Amino acid sequence: MTKYENRHIPEGINVSEEHPLKEFLILAFGLGAITALVVLLLSLMAGWLVHFIPFSLEKSLATSSFSTSTSSDVVLTNEQLEIEGYLQLLANKLSAAQHLPDGMEVVVHYVDGDTVNAFATLGGNIIMYRGLIEALPHENALAMLLSHEIAHIKQRAPIVSLGRGVAVGLALASLSGFGDSSMSHQLIGNVGLLTSLTFSRHQEEQADIEALQTLENYYGHAQGAESLFEILSEGDYALKPPKLLSTHPITEERINRVRHFNGSHVGLASYKPLPEFLVNISQGLD
Amino acid sequence: MYLDLYIFAALLVLGFFFGRLAEKKHFKSIIAREKKYRQLLTFSGRLLPPDLDRADAELVGGNVVISIDYFKRIAAGLRSIVGGRVTTYESLLERARREAILRMKEAAIAKGATMVVNVKLETSSITKGKGQQIGCVEVYAYGTALSPILT
Repeated sequence: MTKYENRHIPEGINVSEEHPLKEFLILAFGLGAITALVVLLLSLMAGWLVHFIPFSLEKSLATSSFSTSTSSDVVLTNEQLEIEGYLQLLANKLSAAQHLPDGMEVVVHYVDGDTVNAFATLGGNIIMYRGLIEALPHENALAMLLSHEIAHIKQRAPIVSLGRGVAVGLALASLSGFGDSSMSHQLIGNVGLLTSLTFSRHQEEQADIEALQTLENYYGHAQGAESLFEILSEGDYALKPPKLLSTHPITEERINRVRHFNGSHVGLASYKPLPEFLVNISQGLD
Repeated sequence: MYLDLYIFAALLVLGFFFGRLAEKKHFKSIIAREKKYRQLLTFSGRLLPPDLDRADAELVGGNVVISIDYFKRIAAGLRSIVGGRVTTYESLLERARREAILRMKEAAIAKGATMVVNVKLETSSITKGKGQQIGCVEVYAYGTALSPILT
């Protein structure tokens, strides 16, 4: 019989010798950088375009959602109406001190909830929770909080965030549609998330600076503002996520900013006390 | 929210180390066994060698299913965005093909064969396009084993 043999086939014909991690890192960082760039560009563009939406339009958009959520369902008691009225009055004074543009006005909503929070949303609406107000030691800290939220309204942060969210969300949804692995979608999604959070942190820093200036205009000094951040850093609600993942600048940074601001604007520290009815709610609950 | 990221990173690292360990071990075993069974001849040709003595013919086959690891899946997912050689899958399929042929050879040796002709390979993906599932590949090798007739 003829001599047959199966010769040895050299290795490495079908398998690449390159380390798999090398390819992975190049791809991950390359695509990550491209995604971050696209998100950044879209965010900038959306943030810029959104300023062409008139405040009155934003307000009418917000009114429809507000009439169904906070205000109308909950009937405020006289006591709560008094608090809301006081907050609104203070907000009006601070708006004037912050030189809010004509046609832009803030509406304060008081919510009788334990949540230690306050936020500004579409249409100049500011939501203040009892939980945060009752923790504040004096009016100066409350004014810092309100001014910070009014500054968000002034920079049109809520509508800018919304515009960005929609633009970036759409773009990422269509980009991740190309990959066939759902985990690569997640990877892309997380890059987008980190980038957009970094953006809003910048807005927060700007709002802090603007708020300090407002306090300076209103009281003649900005002392007592750091009490707000001290309150926020105490207790159970003092979550301290890593800086990269946090929307708000970390508290120590914010307190330092207040100290730095006060260092150059020396004034007499006389804190204005909170009105009786606000002191009562906090004492009654302690 | 961050939990997602941590789980993702942990799975990726786990997939990379265990996947790579398994692959290295497998290739080592494949190379050693291929050397051991080289005396058993395999041909893809359908026809028998013309001067072959009378022999018993019997179907032999060997199949293998190999799962991809998490790392390979993510790497391939990234690759699918830009295109090009999916090297992480190439090594997977290479392992599956060679292992299937080896198992077929082991079956042939068990039957006392000296040669396998008409060797064919079949491939199928077990999880076809199921979004969240880890994919695995099946390779089946089969052929006609020829054993000399002992008289």
